[in-house]
Amino acid sequence: MVKRLSDMPEAEANHLRRIDCPTYDDTPLLAGPPLAARRVAIISTAGLHRRGDRPFQPGDGSYRVIPAETPARDLVMSHISVNFDRTGFQQDSNVVFPIDRLRELVADGTVGSMASVHYSFMGAFPPDAARPHAQHLAGLLKADKVDAALLVPV
Amino acid sequence: MGALGHFLEREGLATAGISLVREHTEKVRPPRALWVTFELGRPLGRPDDPPFQRRVVKAVLDLLARTDGPLIADYPEHVTEDTDFTGWACPVNLAPTHIDSLGAEIERLATWHDRAVAAQGRTTIGISGLDMPAAGAMVNGALAGSLPPAQALKEAIDDLKAYYLEAASAFPDSGTASMRKEWFWSETRLGAALLALQPKLAASDDPQHKILGNLTLIPATERHRLTVTR
Repeated sequence: MVKRLSDMPEAEANHLRRIDCPTYDDTPLLAGPPLAARRVAIISTAGLHRRGDRPFQPGDGSYRVIPAETPARDLVMSHISVNFDRTGFQQDSNVVFPIDRLRELVADGTVGSMASVHYSFMGAFPPDAARPHAQHLAGLLKADKVDAALLVPV
Repeated sequence: MGALGHFLEREGLATAGISLVREHTEKVRPPRALWVTFELGRPLGRPDDPPFQRRVVKAVLDLLARTDGPLIADYPEHVTEDTDFTGWACPVNLAPTHIDSLGAEIERLATWHDRAVAAQGRTTIGISGLDMPAAGAMVNGALAGSLPPAQALKEAIDDLKAYYLEAASAFPDSGTASMRKEWFWSETRLGAALLALQPKLAASDDPQHKILGNLTLIPATERHRLTVTR
Protein backbone atom coordinates (compact mmCIF):
# COMPACT_ATOMS: atom_id res chain seq x y z
CA MET A 1 0.00 0.00 0.00
CA VAL A 2 1.38 3.36 -1.01
CA LYS A 3 0.98 6.07 1.57
CA ARG A 4 3.30 9.03 1.69
CA LEU A 5 6.42 9.43 -0.41
CA SER A 6 8.40 8.33 2.62
CA ASP A 7 6.66 4.93 2.43
CA MET A 8 7.51 4.34 -1.23
CA PRO A 9 10.60 2.65 -2.64
CA GLU A 10 13.39 5.22 -2.55
CA ALA A 11 13.89 5.36 -6.33
CA GLU A 12 10.20 5.97 -6.96
CA ALA A 13 9.89 8.55 -4.18
CA ASN A 14 12.93 10.44 -5.42
CA HIS A 15 11.51 10.51 -8.92
CA LEU A 16 8.25 11.96 -7.60
CA ARG A 17 10.05 14.49 -5.40
CA ARG A 18 11.85 15.84 -8.45
CA ILE A 19 8.61 16.61 -10.29
CA ASP A 20 8.09 20.35 -10.33
CA CYS A 21 4.56 21.17 -9.15
CA PRO A 22 2.93 24.47 -10.10
CA THR A 23 1.57 26.67 -7.32
CA TYR A 24 -1.33 29.11 -7.43
CA ASP A 25 -2.15 32.11 -5.28
CA ASP A 26 -5.77 31.16 -4.84
CA THR A 27 -8.14 28.32 -5.71
CA PRO A 28 -11.52 28.98 -7.32
CA LEU A 29 -14.46 26.93 -6.00
CA LEU A 30 -17.82 26.95 -7.72
CA ALA A 31 -21.11 26.08 -6.07
CA GLY A 32 -23.54 24.06 -8.16
CA PRO A 33 -26.53 21.75 -8.25
CA PRO A 34 -26.70 18.46 -6.33
CA LEU A 35 -24.90 15.49 -7.90
CA ALA A 36 -28.18 13.94 -9.05
CA ALA A 37 -28.71 16.98 -11.25
CA ARG A 38 -25.18 17.30 -12.61
CA ARG A 39 -23.78 16.32 -15.98
CA VAL A 40 -20.31 14.86 -15.52
CA ALA A 41 -17.35 14.42 -17.89
CA ILE A 42 -14.24 12.38 -17.19
CA ILE A 43 -10.96 14.19 -17.75
CA SER A 44 -8.06 11.75 -17.56
CA THR A 45 -4.37 12.59 -17.58
CA ALA A 46 -3.34 9.02 -18.42
CA GLY A 47 -2.39 9.77 -22.01
CA LEU A 48 -5.37 7.78 -23.29
CA HIS A 49 -6.70 7.93 -26.80
CA ARG A 50 -8.36 5.89 -29.45
CA ARG A 51 -6.10 3.61 -31.42
CA GLY A 52 -5.11 5.55 -34.50
CA ASP A 53 -5.28 8.97 -32.82
CA ARG A 54 -2.02 10.90 -32.49
CA PRO A 55 0.10 9.48 -29.68
CA PHE A 56 1.26 11.91 -27.02
CA GLN A 57 4.79 13.30 -27.11
CA PRO A 58 7.06 14.92 -24.52
CA GLY A 59 5.84 18.41 -23.64
CA ASP A 60 2.43 17.77 -25.21
CA GLY A 61 -0.23 19.82 -23.40
CA SER A 62 -3.08 19.00 -25.75
CA TYR A 63 -5.93 16.56 -25.21
CA ARG A 64 -7.51 13.71 -27.08
CA VAL A 65 -11.24 13.18 -27.51
CA ILE A 66 -12.89 10.02 -26.21
CA PRO A 67 -16.56 9.79 -27.23
CA ALA A 68 -18.68 8.09 -24.58
CA GLU A 69 -19.50 5.19 -26.89
CA THR A 70 -15.80 4.35 -27.45
CA PRO A 71 -15.38 0.63 -26.72
CA ALA A 72 -12.63 -0.26 -24.23
CA ARG A 73 -10.91 -2.31 -26.93
CA ASP A 74 -10.25 0.89 -28.89
CA LEU A 75 -8.41 2.63 -26.04
CA VAL A 76 -4.63 2.79 -25.88
CA MET A 77 -2.27 4.68 -23.60
CA SER A 78 0.73 6.65 -24.88
CA HIS A 79 1.70 8.47 -21.70
CA ILE A 80 5.44 9.15 -21.93
CA SER A 81 6.18 8.19 -18.31
CA VAL A 82 7.36 4.70 -17.45
CA ASN A 83 6.95 5.29 -13.72
CA PHE A 84 3.50 3.90 -13.15
CA ASP A 85 1.80 0.54 -13.51
CA ARG A 86 0.11 -0.25 -16.83
CA THR A 87 -0.92 -3.81 -16.11
CA GLY A 88 -4.04 -2.60 -14.31
CA PHE A 89 -5.14 -0.76 -17.45
CA GLN A 90 -4.28 -3.80 -19.56
CA GLN A 91 -6.56 -5.87 -17.35
CA ASP A 92 -9.42 -3.41 -16.97
CA SER A 93 -9.60 0.05 -18.55
CA ASN A 94 -11.99 1.21 -15.84
CA VAL A 95 -9.22 1.17 -13.27
CA VAL A 96 -7.88 4.21 -15.15
CA PHE A 97 -10.89 5.50 -17.07
CA PRO A 98 -14.03 4.67 -15.05
CA ILE A 99 -16.61 5.33 -17.71
CA ASP A 100 -18.61 2.19 -16.98
CA ARG A 101 -18.77 3.16 -13.30
CA LEU A 102 -19.97 6.63 -14.17
CA ARG A 103 -22.57 5.12 -16.47
CA GLU A 104 -23.80 2.94 -13.59
CA LEU A 105 -24.05 5.92 -11.26
CA VAL A 106 -26.15 7.70 -13.86
CA ALA A 107 -28.34 4.62 -14.29
CA ASP A 108 -29.10 4.41 -10.57
CA GLY A 109 -29.83 8.12 -10.31
CA THR A 110 -26.79 9.08 -8.22
CA VAL A 111 -25.46 11.27 -11.04
CA GLY A 112 -27.71 13.30 -13.30
CA SER A 113 -26.18 12.46 -16.64
CA MET A 114 -22.90 11.73 -18.40
CA ALA A 115 -21.13 13.85 -21.00
CA SER A 116 -21.35 12.66 -24.58
CA VAL A 117 -17.59 13.16 -24.95
CA HIS A 118 -14.73 12.65 -22.47
CA TYR A 119 -11.11 13.74 -22.72
CA SER A 120 -7.57 12.75 -21.88
CA PHE A 121 -4.44 14.77 -21.42
CA MET A 122 -0.98 13.30 -20.86
CA GLY A 123 -0.13 14.26 -17.31
CA ALA A 124 3.55 15.00 -17.81
CA PHE A 125 2.66 18.30 -19.45
CA PRO A 126 4.19 21.62 -18.44
CA PRO A 127 1.19 23.54 -17.00
CA ASP A 128 1.67 26.46 -19.37
CA ALA A 129 1.45 24.06 -22.33
CA ALA A 130 -1.89 22.72 -21.13
CA ARG A 131 -3.55 25.95 -20.01
CA PRO A 132 -4.81 27.14 -23.43
CA HIS A 133 -6.05 23.65 -24.27
CA ALA A 134 -7.87 23.41 -20.94
CA GLN A 135 -9.50 26.78 -21.50
CA HIS A 136 -10.66 25.68 -24.92
CA LEU A 137 -11.85 22.40 -23.46
CA ALA A 138 -13.97 24.21 -20.85
CA GLY A 139 -15.94 25.78 -23.69
CA LEU A 140 -16.48 22.42 -25.36
CA LEU A 141 -17.68 20.89 -22.09
CA LYS A 142 -20.13 23.70 -21.47
CA ALA A 143 -21.45 23.30 -25.01
CA ASP A 144 -22.17 19.68 -24.04
CA LYS A 145 -24.06 21.03 -20.96
CA VAL A 146 -21.41 19.55 -18.67
CA ASP A 147 -21.21 21.25 -15.28
CA ALA A 148 -18.75 19.00 -13.45
CA ALA A 149 -15.47 17.31 -14.35
CA LEU A 150 -14.17 14.16 -12.73
CA LEU A 151 -10.38 14.48 -12.88
CA VAL A 152 -8.55 11.16 -12.94
CA PRO A 153 -4.74 11.05 -12.79
CA VAL A 154 -2.62 8.01 -13.43
CA MET B 1 -3.65 16.84 -12.76
CA GLY B 2 -4.23 19.47 -10.08
CA ALA B 3 -3.41 22.25 -12.54
CA LEU B 4 -6.38 21.19 -14.68
CA GLY B 5 -8.66 21.68 -11.67
CA HIS B 6 -7.47 25.28 -11.45
CA PHE B 7 -7.82 25.91 -15.18
CA LEU B 8 -11.29 24.38 -15.58
CA GLU B 9 -12.79 25.74 -12.37
CA ARG B 10 -11.60 29.22 -13.31
CA GLU B 11 -13.42 28.79 -16.63
CA GLY B 12 -16.66 28.06 -14.83
CA LEU B 13 -16.60 24.29 -14.57
CA ALA B 14 -16.70 22.58 -11.15
CA THR B 15 -14.05 19.91 -10.68
CA ALA B 16 -13.24 17.09 -8.28
CA GLY B 17 -10.25 14.84 -8.73
CA ILE B 18 -8.35 11.87 -7.45
CA SER B 19 -4.96 12.47 -5.84
CA LEU B 20 -2.38 9.69 -6.02
CA VAL B 21 0.54 11.70 -4.61
CA ARG B 22 -0.61 13.68 -1.63
CA GLU B 23 2.55 15.78 -1.46
CA HIS B 24 1.94 17.03 -5.01
CA THR B 25 -1.69 17.86 -4.31
CA GLU B 26 -0.74 19.75 -1.16
CA LYS B 27 1.47 22.00 -3.28
CA VAL B 28 -0.88 22.52 -6.22
CA ARG B 29 -4.00 23.01 -4.05
CA PRO B 30 -6.68 22.11 -6.61
CA PRO B 31 -10.31 22.79 -5.66
CA ARG B 32 -11.30 19.30 -4.46
CA ALA B 33 -9.19 16.16 -4.20
CA LEU B 34 -9.79 12.67 -2.89
CA TRP B 35 -6.48 11.23 -1.80
CA VAL B 36 -6.15 7.48 -2.39
CA THR B 37 -3.30 5.20 -1.39
CA PHE B 38 -3.45 3.08 -4.53
CA GLU B 39 -0.55 2.16 -6.76
CA LEU B 40 0.39 4.73 -9.41
CA GLY B 41 -1.36 3.72 -12.61
CA ARG B 42 -4.43 2.42 -10.76
CA PRO B 43 -6.36 5.51 -9.67
CA LEU B 44 -9.58 3.53 -9.16
CA GLY B 45 -7.76 1.00 -7.00
CA ARG B 46 -8.66 -2.49 -8.17
CA PRO B 47 -9.07 -3.81 -11.73
CA ASP B 48 -12.18 -5.91 -12.34
CA ASP B 49 -13.82 -4.79 -9.11
CA PRO B 50 -16.75 -2.59 -10.18
CA PRO B 51 -18.22 -2.11 -6.68
CA PHE B 52 -14.86 -0.91 -5.37
CA GLN B 53 -14.36 1.42 -8.34
CA ARG B 54 -17.90 2.74 -8.03
CA ARG B 55 -17.32 3.64 -4.38
CA VAL B 56 -14.22 5.61 -5.34
CA VAL B 57 -16.01 7.48 -8.14
CA LYS B 58 -18.92 8.27 -5.83
CA ALA B 59 -16.56 9.53 -3.12
CA VAL B 60 -14.84 11.90 -5.55
CA LEU B 61 -18.08 13.20 -7.01
CA ASP B 62 -19.54 13.77 -3.53
CA LEU B 63 -16.83 16.38 -3.02
CA LEU B 64 -18.50 18.55 -5.67
CA ALA B 65 -21.01 19.67 -3.03
CA ARG B 66 -18.23 21.34 -1.05
CA THR B 67 -17.05 24.91 -1.56
CA ASP B 68 -14.75 25.04 1.47
CA GLY B 69 -11.63 24.16 -0.47
CA PRO B 70 -9.00 23.76 -1.55
CA LEU B 71 -9.62 20.48 0.19
CA ILE B 72 -8.05 17.04 0.32
CA ALA B 73 -10.28 14.26 1.64
CA ASP B 74 -8.74 10.91 2.61
CA TYR B 75 -10.29 7.85 1.00
CA PRO B 76 -10.78 5.22 3.73
CA GLU B 77 -10.27 2.05 1.67
CA HIS B 78 -6.87 0.67 0.76
CA VAL B 79 -5.63 -2.01 -1.61
CA THR B 80 -3.25 -4.59 -0.25
CA GLU B 81 -0.42 -5.90 -2.36
CA ASP B 82 -1.03 -8.81 -4.70
CA THR B 83 -0.79 -12.19 -3.08
CA ASP B 84 2.76 -13.42 -3.14
CA PHE B 85 3.15 -16.94 -4.52
CA THR B 86 6.39 -17.90 -2.89
CA GLY B 87 8.58 -19.78 -5.27
CA TRP B 88 6.71 -18.65 -8.36
CA ALA B 89 8.73 -19.15 -11.47
CA CYS B 90 7.70 -18.42 -14.99
CA PRO B 91 6.01 -21.66 -16.09
CA VAL B 92 6.87 -21.07 -19.73
CA ASN B 93 10.48 -21.42 -20.63
CA LEU B 94 11.33 -17.99 -21.94
CA ALA B 95 14.81 -17.78 -20.60
CA PRO B 96 16.99 -16.56 -23.44
CA THR B 97 19.78 -18.76 -24.62
CA HIS B 98 22.98 -17.77 -26.38
CA ILE B 99 21.59 -18.64 -29.77
CA ASP B 100 18.24 -17.05 -29.11
CA SER B 101 17.14 -13.68 -30.41
CA LEU B 102 14.68 -10.94 -29.62
CA GLY B 103 12.70 -11.92 -32.70
CA ALA B 104 12.43 -15.53 -31.54
CA GLU B 105 11.29 -14.41 -28.11
CA ILE B 106 8.59 -12.21 -29.65
CA GLU B 107 7.44 -15.08 -31.82
CA ARG B 108 7.33 -17.47 -28.87
CA LEU B 109 5.06 -15.13 -26.95
CA ALA B 110 2.52 -14.83 -29.75
CA THR B 111 0.41 -17.78 -28.69
CA TRP B 112 0.26 -16.46 -25.12
CA HIS B 113 -0.69 -13.04 -26.34
CA ASP B 114 -3.46 -14.59 -28.42
CA ARG B 115 -4.73 -16.26 -25.27
CA ALA B 116 -4.59 -12.98 -23.37
CA VAL B 117 -6.60 -11.21 -26.06
CA ALA B 118 -9.14 -14.01 -26.06
CA ALA B 119 -9.48 -13.76 -22.28
CA GLN B 120 -9.60 -9.96 -22.08
CA GLY B 121 -11.45 -9.28 -25.29
CA ARG B 122 -8.95 -6.55 -26.07
CA THR B 123 -5.32 -5.53 -26.29
CA THR B 124 -3.72 -2.20 -25.45
CA ILE B 125 -1.20 -2.58 -28.28
CA GLY B 126 -1.61 -0.16 -31.15
CA ILE B 127 0.30 3.04 -30.53
CA SER B 128 3.07 2.54 -33.08
CA GLY B 129 1.03 0.99 -35.87
CA LEU B 130 3.73 -1.68 -36.19
CA ASP B 131 3.27 -5.40 -35.80
CA MET B 132 5.39 -6.92 -33.05
CA PRO B 133 8.12 -8.45 -35.26
CA ALA B 134 8.57 -5.05 -36.91
CA ALA B 135 8.69 -3.32 -33.53
CA GLY B 136 11.31 -5.84 -32.40
CA ALA B 137 13.29 -5.22 -35.58
CA MET B 138 13.29 -1.51 -34.80
CA VAL B 139 14.74 -2.19 -31.34
CA ASN B 140 17.35 -4.49 -32.87
CA GLY B 141 18.24 -1.84 -35.43
CA ALA B 142 18.63 0.77 -32.71
CA LEU B 143 20.92 -1.57 -30.79
CA ALA B 144 22.96 -2.18 -33.90
CA GLY B 145 23.69 1.51 -34.14
CA SER B 146 21.09 3.26 -36.24
CA LEU B 147 18.81 5.07 -33.83
CA PRO B 148 15.36 5.76 -35.31
CA PRO B 149 13.53 8.94 -34.34
CA ALA B 150 12.88 8.89 -30.59
CA GLN B 151 9.09 9.11 -30.86
CA ALA B 152 8.88 6.14 -33.25
CA LEU B 153 11.17 4.08 -31.05
CA LYS B 154 9.23 4.98 -27.89
CA GLU B 155 5.93 3.99 -29.49
CA ALA B 156 7.35 0.66 -30.68
CA ILE B 157 8.76 -0.05 -27.21
CA ASP B 158 5.48 0.83 -25.48
CA ASP B 159 3.66 -1.58 -27.76
CA LEU B 160 6.23 -4.31 -27.15
CA LYS B 161 6.02 -3.91 -23.39
CA ALA B 162 2.24 -4.15 -23.55
CA TYR B 163 2.60 -7.26 -25.71
CA TYR B 164 4.96 -8.95 -23.25
CA LEU B 165 2.98 -8.13 -20.12
CA GLU B 166 -0.35 -8.98 -21.67
CA ALA B 167 1.08 -12.28 -22.92
CA ALA B 168 2.50 -13.06 -19.49
CA SER B 169 -0.92 -12.52 -17.91
CA ALA B 170 -2.10 -15.56 -19.87
CA PHE B 171 0.65 -17.92 -18.69
CA PRO B 172 -0.70 -20.80 -16.64
CA ASP B 173 -0.24 -19.77 -13.00
CA SER B 174 0.71 -16.31 -14.14
CA GLY B 175 1.72 -14.95 -10.74
CA THR B 176 1.13 -11.34 -9.75
CA ALA B 177 1.55 -8.21 -11.83
CA SER B 178 4.68 -7.29 -9.90
CA MET B 179 6.15 -10.76 -10.56
CA ARG B 180 5.47 -10.38 -14.26
CA LYS B 181 7.21 -7.01 -14.29
CA GLU B 182 10.16 -8.54 -12.49
CA TRP B 183 10.18 -11.28 -15.12
CA PHE B 184 10.15 -8.68 -17.88
CA TRP B 185 13.16 -6.79 -16.56
CA SER B 186 15.22 -9.69 -15.30
CA GLU B 187 14.49 -12.55 -17.71
CA THR B 188 13.50 -11.31 -21.15
CA ARG B 189 15.59 -10.41 -24.15
CA LEU B 190 13.53 -7.28 -24.58
CA GLY B 191 14.20 -6.11 -21.03
CA ALA B 192 17.92 -6.66 -21.60
CA ALA B 193 17.71 -4.86 -24.95
CA LEU B 194 16.13 -1.79 -23.36
CA LEU B 195 18.80 -1.72 -20.66
CA ALA B 196 21.46 -1.95 -23.38
CA LEU B 197 19.80 0.81 -25.40
CA GLN B 198 19.78 3.29 -22.56
CA PRO B 199 23.41 4.42 -22.74
CA LYS B 200 23.24 4.71 -26.54
CA LEU B 201 20.21 6.98 -26.33
CA ALA B 202 21.66 9.02 -23.47
CA ALA B 203 24.86 9.56 -25.48
CA SER B 204 23.04 10.68 -28.64
CA ASP B 205 23.31 14.29 -29.80
CA ASP B 206 19.57 14.34 -30.45
CA PRO B 207 17.79 15.91 -27.44
CA GLN B 208 14.74 13.66 -27.97
CA HIS B 209 16.96 10.59 -27.77
CA LYS B 210 18.40 11.95 -24.54
CA ILE B 211 14.91 12.41 -23.05
CA LEU B 212 14.05 8.84 -23.98
CA GLY B 213 17.29 7.42 -22.63
CA ASN B 214 17.37 9.42 -19.43
CA LEU B 215 13.70 9.69 -18.50
CA THR B 216 11.18 7.60 -20.40
CA LEU B 217 12.83 4.25 -21.15
CA ILE B 218 13.76 2.65 -17.83
CA PRO B 219 11.46 3.05 -14.80
CA ALA B 220 13.07 4.74 -11.80
CA THR B 221 12.65 1.51 -9.84
CA GLU B 222 14.61 -0.48 -12.46
CA ARG B 223 17.48 1.90 -13.12
CA HIS B 224 19.65 0.05 -10.63
CA ARG B 225 19.93 -2.64 -13.30
CA LEU B 226 21.79 -0.28 -15.61
CA THR B 227 25.01 -0.47 -13.64
CA VAL B 228 25.17 -4.24 -13.94
CA THR B 229 24.50 -4.41 -17.65
CA ARG B 230 27.01 -1.82 -18.77
